[in-house]
Amino acid sequence: MEEFVGELWHKFITGIAENSNDKSAVELKDVRRILGIYFRALGGDVSLNISGSSATYHHARRSFFQKIAGSGKKIELSWRDTEDLRLPNKINYFQDKSLNLDLYFWLTGLATISITSSHDWMIKNQLATLALLDRFPGLQDRYQKLVTASLLLRRPPDQLPKEEAEIETVIRQALINPGSVTESIGNQRKSFQPVILWPHPSPPNTIPYGHKSEDAMDENHEPGKSEIVENKRKHSAERVDSEDKKNGLLLMFRAESIFSWAEFINVNRPHDNEDDLENAKSALEDMDKLSITRKGKLKASRLKFDLDLPPDSSDEAILKEGILLPEWNWKKQSLVPNHCSLKEVCSDTGVDGELPSNLKVIASKLKRQFESLVSLRYWQRNQQDGEEIDLDAWIRLRSDISRNMSSAEEGLYQAHFVKERDLSCLLLADLSISTDAYISDDLKIIDVIRNSLFLFAEALSSTGDKFALYGFSSLKRSLIRFDQLKSFDDNYDAKIKGRISGISTGYYTRMGAAIRHASSILVNQKTSQKLLLILTDGKPNDLDEYEGRYGIEDTRKAILEAKQMGLHPFCVTVDKDAKEYLPHLFGVNGFVLVSKPEELPEKLVHLYALLTH
Amino acid sequence: MEKIFYEPFGNECELFEKAWKNNLPLLIKGPTGCGKTRFVSYMSNQLNLPLYTIACHDDLTASDLVGRHLIGAGDTIWSDGPLTKAVREGGICYLDEVVEARKDTTVILHPLADDRRILPIDRIGETLKAPDSFMLVVSYNPGYQNFLKKLKPSTRQRFISITFDFPRADQEERILVGETGVDSFTAKQLVSIANAIRSLKDQDLEEVVSTRLLIYSAKLICDGVDPVIACHSAIVETLTDDIETQIALDEVIRATFGR
Repeated sequence: MEEFVGELWHKFITGIAENSNDKSAVELKDVRRILGIYFRALGGDVSLNISGSSATYHHARRSFFQKIAGSGKKIELSWRDTEDLRLPNKINYFQDKSLNLDLYFWLTGLATISITSSHDWMIKNQLATLALLDRFPGLQDRYQKLVTASLLLRRPPDQLPKEEAEIETVIRQALINPGSVTESIGNQRKSFQPVILWPHPSPPNTIPYGHKSEDAMDENHEPGKSEIVENKRKHSAERVDSEDKKNGLLLMFRAESIFSWAEFINVNRPHDNEDDLENAKSALEDMDKLSITRKGKLKASRLKFDLDLPPDSSDEAILKEGILLPEWNWKKQSLVPNHCSLKEVCSDTGVDGELPSNLKVIASKLKRQFESLVSLRYWQRNQQDGEEIDLDAWIRLRSDISRNMSSAEEGLYQAHFVKERDLSCLLLADLSISTDAYISDDLKIIDVIRNSLFLFAEALSSTGDKFALYGFSSLKRSLIRFDQLKSFDDNYDAKIKGRISGISTGYYTRMGAAIRHASSILVNQKTSQKLLLILTDGKPNDLDEYEGRYGIEDTRKAILEAKQMGLHPFCVTVDKDAKEYLPHLFGVNGFVLVSKPEELPEKLVHLYALLTH
Repeated sequence: MEKIFYEPFGNECELFEKAWKNNLPLLIKGPTGCGKTRFVSYMSNQLNLPLYTIACHDDLTASDLVGRHLIGAGDTIWSDGPLTKAVREGGICYLDEVVEARKDTTVILHPLADDRRILPIDRIGETLKAPDSFMLVVSYNPGYQNFLKKLKPSTRQRFISITFDFPRADQEERILVGETGVDSFTAKQLVSIANAIRSLKDQDLEEVVSTRLLIYSAKLICDGVDPVIACHSAIVETLTDDIETQIALDEVIRATFGR
């Protein structure tokens, strides 16, 4: 038995991320969607994404952990912030795969519980455990199994120095009998072994620009306590420095992958002494300052890459400038009026365009299909003239005659009619810089969008539905470019084709403003049905605060507004991660993901047919 | 007449009765399986009125409602449709999922649904005046409207409306117990599963679990089927074809029942 425990222990210490062919491991990428649904079903915040946690140093017990593993090993724990529920990228603590999976479900379930009555990590986790087990008593068995298995991974108190042994005893008691430990260990927190069943005791701050965390789990920190944590951290930082001399930088930058580095980009950096040319060593210092400024006490700024912007095209005519639009700030839960300025432009190259020759065959095929798909034909009865006899009418006539009633006016034929379609559609295409990416050797996303616009216009022009085509991109809130390719009044002619040929990528994706402006155009159409079709390749984002949850919530608000105006917003995307956020924006039936972008042009047209049938 | 089980969620019974007394037609909105049809049967039973239920679909013609001539031996015979029968007998005519019916069909309801309360039948040259006991009830599910299918405002504005939603937890438990005889603890567990799944509406699921599906599960459980399996086939499989969603829903069920 001891050998077995030793083996597990070894595995726990050394094999956290390495063993990729480990049969019992469960990876987050395989279960992320399932956990998302589970999280929401158990009452979790619907707007949170499930994402991988970066491996973090568990500062409080780091020295201990390093001692055991013989390295600066990191561990992936879970935590919640304003945008994400962070879960380990992989769990392979146990040899039994189902236990590893159960741990994922357990951590997800635990994250649905918010405990605000206590500030102490140890007490809070016990309360959360009790609350979850109370709500879902069926989890009891599994919790016990997980506790038993995870205790086997922990070093028993009798093998630990006195101080750590005391804490270990308390942790064990809290795990086995949640609710039984009522004394805080917060202020005397020294090193202890990480508790894989509980969330991170002091999650790294990944909230943009130093905003105070709005997470209920975090918000009740006592100032005094933060102080202590900070002091503690500073102490840790010194330790890192001294170790750095010995082991070299890679110790910290081992950080598993670029992913971790990307994680750090989003995080607070002290504003004052920021210098992008700092050498790696001071970057390392910054990293630890990250943790120190966890509560955003120092003024923080963010690392962003600006683009080398192309000059405005000379042949672009400004149709309307300075259109002011509001924007939704979810943190303040208010609509900020006149926050964005939009410019409606029309780039006429002066060159007449035509349908690219490689699209001609498919366009004519689609046109034919489309006509039969879309134009609703139906039989109208009681016609004076028509293709077929209306048997019903004939029977009626016979019976009327037999009753000596006159019904000479009735028509005895049925005729085929095409149903009047009372529909207008505005297609809004994302022309942000990301569409400049190649999806195959010779095709960029922007090319796919261009082809989609062409085929869409070809197909719709054959149905008689009213349609307009617009593109958008943005550069912060002061410059939102709204390209008019075809207004509702324009005829689809060579000039329009020239504009479609000429579309080029712009900057970023401030989707909310673009949707608001498009809605204001579409709502003026005098048809009874109005479809707002949005074509995009990714999440809303811009250079300023407009990204992540901010952008998503603003876009969501814009869509709700469009719905309230009686429009039907629908999104077509090629973003493979779209399932993470689009249901929140458009509802489960409000979008479609085209997984092969090269199929987008055809799919889009078919989709239109389905939507409006 | 056999007693029909119905658990009221508010003042809907009183409202129905007042509407009936005052000759007002009624529109019931609500998701599928939340008890709309049961409510109407219950009320027709309470008021002791004959009930004619018509499930609407897009091929439903006016003559399906009003009636048609059938060919007899050398002659034609007029046959009343369900709407005409209800008017003649002074009963309740209930059109389920009325948005599914073509707009030109629903228009024939207009003279019946306003203060005229008449049903003109051109075919036989007759205009029926609805007796006081006649009541028109229509229902639809606002959740899954095709975006081109909507109730015309002119139709809608002739009705008084009630919105049905899934019952409160304690009521739903009583419904399960009353309907199936399942023990109250299992009923509680089923309702807790249902409410967990209902929070996924519009984001992960198009349609969420109805009281009807809970009743199915409870019936299976009462007959000895393992609760996890009963819920899997009555709820999970019914709601979604997507494997990942199924796994997540099964986990919610396991989290409630244990395994």
